[in-house]
Amino acid sequence: MVETAKTSSGDIVYEAAGLKKEFDGGKVAALRGVDLQIRQGEFVAIIGPSGCGKSTLLASLGSLDRPSAGTLTYRGNSIPDMPDPAAYRAHEIGFIFQSFHLLPTFTVAENVQIPMFEGNKSRSQRKERAVQLLKSVGLDHRLGHFPSELSGGERQRVAIARSLANGPSVLLADEPTGNLDSDSAQQIMELILQLHRDLGMTLVLVTHDLTIAERASRIIAMRDGRVISDQAADTPTTALQ
Amino acid sequence: MTFFTIILRSLIRRPVRTGLTLVGISIGIAAVVALVGMAWGYEKSIEKQLDVIGVDLLVSNMSAGIMPKVFDASLQEPISKLPHVAETTSVLMQLLSVEDAPMMMVSGREWDGFTWNKLEVVEGRMPKNADEPAVVLGRLAAEVLKKKVGDTVQLETSELPVVGIVDGKAVVENGAIILSLSVMQKATANEGKINFVDIRLAPGTSKQAISELSEKIRVIFPEGRARAANEVVSANQGFRIARAMSWSTSLLAIVVGVLGVMNTMLMTVFERTHEIGILLAVGWRRQRVLLMVLCESALLGLLGGITGVTLGAIGLKILEHTPAIRGLLEPDLSAKLLLISVAIAVVVGVISGLYPAWRSSRLSPSIALQS
Repeated sequence: MVETAKTSSGDIVYEAAGLKKEFDGGKVAALRGVDLQIRQGEFVAIIGPSGCGKSTLLASLGSLDRPSAGTLTYRGNSIPDMPDPAAYRAHEIGFIFQSFHLLPTFTVAENVQIPMFEGNKSRSQRKERAVQLLKSVGLDHRLGHFPSELSGGERQRVAIARSLANGPSVLLADEPTGNLDSDSAQQIMELILQLHRDLGMTLVLVTHDLTIAERASRIIAMRDGRVISDQAADTPTTALQ
Repeated sequence: MTFFTIILRSLIRRPVRTGLTLVGISIGIAAVVALVGMAWGYEKSIEKQLDVIGVDLLVSNMSAGIMPKVFDASLQEPISKLPHVAETTSVLMQLLSVEDAPMMMVSGREWDGFTWNKLEVVEGRMPKNADEPAVVLGRLAAEVLKKKVGDTVQLETSELPVVGIVDGKAVVENGAIILSLSVMQKATANEGKINFVDIRLAPGTSKQAISELSEKIRVIFPEGRARAANEVVSANQGFRIARAMSWSTSLLAIVVGVLGVMNTMLMTVFERTHEIGILLAVGWRRQRVLLMVLCESALLGLLGGITGVTLGAIGLKILEHTPAIRGLLEPDLSAKLLLISVAIAVVVGVISGLYPAWRSSRLSPSIALQS
């Protein structure tokens, strides 16, 4: 398995207070005051119905979206005020999306190399790292294939390899199995959990699948832009619905 | 994979659009090469002609037009007596439509003047004397007019026999019809008139002396100016207008090219919003996205420039052999012109890409990912 950055357990990675996000000039409120803390090494599942704000929260954690109000920090640093949010996205976090978001005109190996352009790796180092990562997700036989030539599960594996390209300490996964059949979904979840365990990465996973959420160490339930429950995973999921 | 691979890949994946954009730029650049190459070529051809003949100073009234106004031939004598003037000769030169040729240089030269010296007879002979109603043709002029020794040439109202074909060592000389001054004056109804006094200076004449000489000539001939051979073209208003027109026409072609590339790059950015969102999401800096789009645009410009220069060079070679131009000029296909043209194309590419690049770099990653 690929080595990646680790910090001591117990460190607060994310902290949100009164986090709000509005769209369309305030007509749509996706987050209505979210308070939470996520610690290093945790596996947090965020669940809730469609439109509850879970993906917006993940986008805010990943600095893909700027909150409208409230505070949101990563290891004590305000995410909206980061001087170089691209560096944060490139080196601190890895994104896994429901629809993979691979670049169709680049091969599997090239897709994995894309994030590495924000770094000081040489061409050969980028290539070597991509091969290593793809091997770790079981796709070293598909290096020269294009995404269109892969199954859904394989595409998500490529996306996972890409998310690890710069050795992040946090994985943000937005419905990573949402577009997969049950077998592939199972395999992808095993892979993500293995990464979480082996690399000690903090994992924040958005899902509406309670069986997946149950595998997390902590489940945050959301509704109408608010956190309605934040409990350890041994809480019966029926209580969260 | 390198950054360049990424740039190249996005151009290659839309071959039709990339190809059409290249055609747009290359036509613009071909126009630059052809038009400016012609203008520069004409200037250089005239300069080379003066150099071959051995003219140091040229006295004329270059007020307007390509050819200077005629003036009284008697002005030659006082000029010839000025200090530092080693030799003078009078010329009446005009651009005339001759038979099927739309425009030909017709040069009436003072008999025994030094302007005859470098003409080498390749066929036939020179006129026997100043009064013989005959012409010699430069080699290219003979080809253009399809004339040989023994044929006649209709010059205005006079029909003059061709007594010789000559090699003048310069395109303008080889493209000219050459005859004695008195015959030219008669044929064009310009008796007693000339439009050039060609001057050879005494060896070692200083710049200061040339400047003083020019002032003295100005006193003798207030409407005229004495110019060094290499300044004749640049000082001529007609050439300046031709040069300005060639550049302004080129500019129009370039503007069309800019719009073409900008349209392509904007379309590309619109189509690739999702892809740019991915790049931003995986940590690409906005500057890198901006650089990527700008480099794509510049590469389009470079490729269009190279294609355009090739097309322009081919076009110039074809134009060089058309009856309207043949013998009048040797198109300038210098490395300077080719490099300037390619540089213009790259600048066109970069300028065209600025707005699309800026726009793409301002995209919000989350919104771009949803597109």
